[in-house]
Amino acid sequence: MPKARGTDGSLLTSLPWTLAALVFSLVPHVQFLPLWITAAFVICGAWRYLIERRRRALPSPYLRVLLALGCFLGVFATYATISGVGPGSALLAIMAALKLLETRKRRDQFVLLFIAIFLVMSTLLREQYLWSLPYLVVAVLLIMTAWLRVSAAAGETAGHSFRTGGRLILYAAPLAIAMWIFFPRLANPFWAVPMDTGTAKSGISDSMSPGDISSLSMSNAVAFRVNFAGRIPEPRDRYWRGLVLTLFNGRTWSGNDPFEGPRVHEQVFGNGESVSYQITLEPTRQQWVFALDMPWSWTLPRTFMGPQQQLARSRPIDRRVSYEVTSYLDYRTDVALTDYARSWYERIPPESNKRTQALAKQMRAAASSDAAYIEAVLRMFHEQEYFYTLQPPPLGSSPVDRFMFDTRRGFCEHYASAFAVMMRAAGIPARIVLGYQGGEMNPMGGHMIVRQSDAHAWNEVWLDSVGWYRVDPTSAVAPGRIESGVSESMFDGVASTWGFSATSALLHRLSLTWDAMNAKWNEWVLGYGPENQSRFMKWLGMDNPDWRNMLLTLTAIIVGLILLISVILTLRYRPPAKDRAAILYARFVKRTGMEPLTGETPAIFAARAEAESQLPAEMIRAVTSTYLDARYGPCDLASLHRLELAVAAMHRQ
Amino acid sequence: MQRQSTLETLPVGKDGAREALDRVRTTLDTIILGKNARIALALACMLARGHLLIEDLPGLGKTMLAQALARVMGLSFRRIQFTSDLLPADIVGVSVFRQEKGEFEFQPGPVFAQLILADEVNRATPKAQSALLEAMEEYQVSVDGNTRLLPEPFFVVATQNPADQIGTFPLPESQLDRFLMRLELGYPNEENERELLTGEDRRVMLDDVDAVASPELLLSLQKTAASIHMSEPLIDYVQALVRQTRESPDIDIGLSPRGALALVAAAKAHAFVEHHAGVYPDDIQAVFASIAGHRLKPASNTTYRSAAELCQHVLDSVAIP
Repeated sequence: MPKARGTDGSLLTSLPWTLAALVFSLVPHVQFLPLWITAAFVICGAWRYLIERRRRALPSPYLRVLLALGCFLGVFATYATISGVGPGSALLAIMAALKLLETRKRRDQFVLLFIAIFLVMSTLLREQYLWSLPYLVVAVLLIMTAWLRVSAAAGETAGHSFRTGGRLILYAAPLAIAMWIFFPRLANPFWAVPMDTGTAKSGISDSMSPGDISSLSMSNAVAFRVNFAGRIPEPRDRYWRGLVLTLFNGRTWSGNDPFEGPRVHEQVFGNGESVSYQITLEPTRQQWVFALDMPWSWTLPRTFMGPQQQLARSRPIDRRVSYEVTSYLDYRTDVALTDYARSWYERIPPESNKRTQALAKQMRAAASSDAAYIEAVLRMFHEQEYFYTLQPPPLGSSPVDRFMFDTRRGFCEHYASAFAVMMRAAGIPARIVLGYQGGEMNPMGGHMIVRQSDAHAWNEVWLDSVGWYRVDPTSAVAPGRIESGVSESMFDGVASTWGFSATSALLHRLSLTWDAMNAKWNEWVLGYGPENQSRFMKWLGMDNPDWRNMLLTLTAIIVGLILLISVILTLRYRPPAKDRAAILYARFVKRTGMEPLTGETPAIFAARAEAESQLPAEMIRAVTSTYLDARYGPCDLASLHRLELAVAAMHRQ
Repeated sequence: MQRQSTLETLPVGKDGAREALDRVRTTLDTIILGKNARIALALACMLARGHLLIEDLPGLGKTMLAQALARVMGLSFRRIQFTSDLLPADIVGVSVFRQEKGEFEFQPGPVFAQLILADEVNRATPKAQSALLEAMEEYQVSVDGNTRLLPEPFFVVATQNPADQIGTFPLPESQLDRFLMRLELGYPNEENERELLTGEDRRVMLDDVDAVASPELLLSLQKTAASIHMSEPLIDYVQALVRQTRESPDIDIGLSPRGALALVAAAKAHAFVEHHAGVYPDDIQAVFASIAGHRLKPASNTTYRSAAELCQHVLDSVAIP
């Protein structure tokens, strides 16, 4: 027999809550999901609500099967797979939307709320931030409220469900914290979240064409945070080396395979004092590992230095990592340049950017040496009409020519690109280093923040006597960018865009405080791994913190907590819930202004009160019947609550 | 003859039973007019597994009530007219010698039915009375040394005419205690009496009534009725009422613990009949007079003229917790 598909509006009280919980659980996914899934979700939600509102019938099973099939194929077509966080959450979202269309009963809503919990938890598979915690708390609270709404007694208000939900979460919180602290963390987890290949990478990309870094310059997001063990380098020394670009096709610079070449200690020779620090790198989903120019040793596993002295990990950095690095600010890369490599570093497409090449040849001929030529080029950038701006005009197919001779406006990537072309055209090996320059000390957390807006490109040229030598043409144009960091200039840009005054120091302070909180959260909560746990266990006095001891402690704590909660609940449970009913009824009796006779039952008193008192008859009847239920019926908090409502209604009168 | 219930397959689920009980009540209300409260009490008595004593003048529908109860409940029904020459064997049955078989064969008496109407029980001698009363208490009878179980459920409705004084043997207090309730039907009001006079003959109507319940259903209803919730304050109330009957100067002998138990059982059954979520004070008050009326012995100097007035006095002097 086909199931009845009609609706009777009985879900109207709980459905909005269920919908709200679902929508809230979807919110953090929206930016990752294809638009059509969000749209389908919203449409299904609205559709279902209207069906309930107008007492229409649910769509037929054939239509639902068709929709389910279509959506599944849609997800498959979008991702070309159904495993992984992205397709998984997309499927989950679309299933929740479709489940709405066959939601007829309470039970179906429970399923929906389960899906909502899954959706909320799956956001943690992507990345965890400080704001994830308040989001989780609010989301779980909303879902719990929806849950209680679904099973609420008639007359129970949403506020009541909300409070009950909050109380349940409070009871569960100590258990969750105990689990978090004591559940054994394994150095090699048994499971791993499959990484999405299609996920957008963040930060610097592994090629550079005009306009790439300008989009980063507007991003205030944190690239990484640094804790220095001792001396903090001067702003002009804060070059955070990332990847090296060596190939130029006339428009775009790109790198080559970093996993070849000798090891670091054969490539780099440090002079003077080294700098030690710890970097907490936000996930980039790329392989590049950033470190102060020039890294000497590092603790991140499976990370190697390539032939162009760039650090890379064999696996992309798909979650926040923390590593210690020792760098030499003064260094030499003393690797002989082979003829093959030299030709590589001097290659430019001969037919592109011809005016620049001609200018380079002319200037090189005029200069006495390579060093003098470099000086001359930098002086040209400094003295002629070149401007540093984050909003450069668009460049055509020969971007370097157009930049050098026409627009003359740009920022680091334009200058680095132009400089590298100038060098190569003159026969000097040159390459571009992408990374970050600068960093702001956060006085609240005592660490340095390097933001995406600090992204920078500079050059390295090969001088036979020195090896690879860092040249930053941007500093010739805008020394302030290098000396004080981009933040001021960037801040001006943002301020003018958003209408803030340039000295919105308070705003800046607030953002620094938020950053410090984030850093601590990352360090203590998200970074609570096997080492931290072991250290914490030792601090707690556990001599030998292996997983057995931890599990035992955890079990003991959970049993203890459950006992504690049970004892509290037992002590707080007052059988005289009945007396509460009597108190409420006494208020009603007082309100009638009459005195019940000895042996007069509430029902008889009600009949008398209807005749003699001023209170409306239906109110008297409501109070009396709920009172009889609450005081003499089976012990039931819901009936007591109904009595409370009836007496409250009487008082409002 | 015994009429087989057509509804033996009636659902005995909780809701089905509940509905059947409501149907029983409405059917009874259409046959016996204007006696809703009494019918509720009679049903409560039945659901509390108690026997019923109806004490009233002739012609007020005592027999009709008993017959109607048996008919709508689908119970087998026997009527025993008590007379001064009734012998115990006339009630429980005799063993007759069958010559052809050469052995005694038991001929069951009218007591082997599910609902017995013992009409004018005070006309018989104490010996005959006690035969019935023992059956009521033990749910079995002993004949010639053999114990025979009575059918289940077993329910006795006895009637007694209080006006007759000559040639009667009123039941002593100890035997009155066997009856869970004593009811007085009383005269119908004008309106109901008019309907009675103008309407269909009640006996014909009764013949047309089909059973709306079954013995199995009654048993399950009895179980449900016993499980009705009774709250602490009302236990206190029952105790206070019982204490009042024992301490009141108007009463010589108050309620026994068995009387208190009867009060609780009847109140629960009444709450069930009345669809209450639990036992309400109204249930206790409703059943109190019929439970306590025949169990109390009024003091000789009391000013209350009837047991009903005395019971009302007790109710009026105990506060409801």
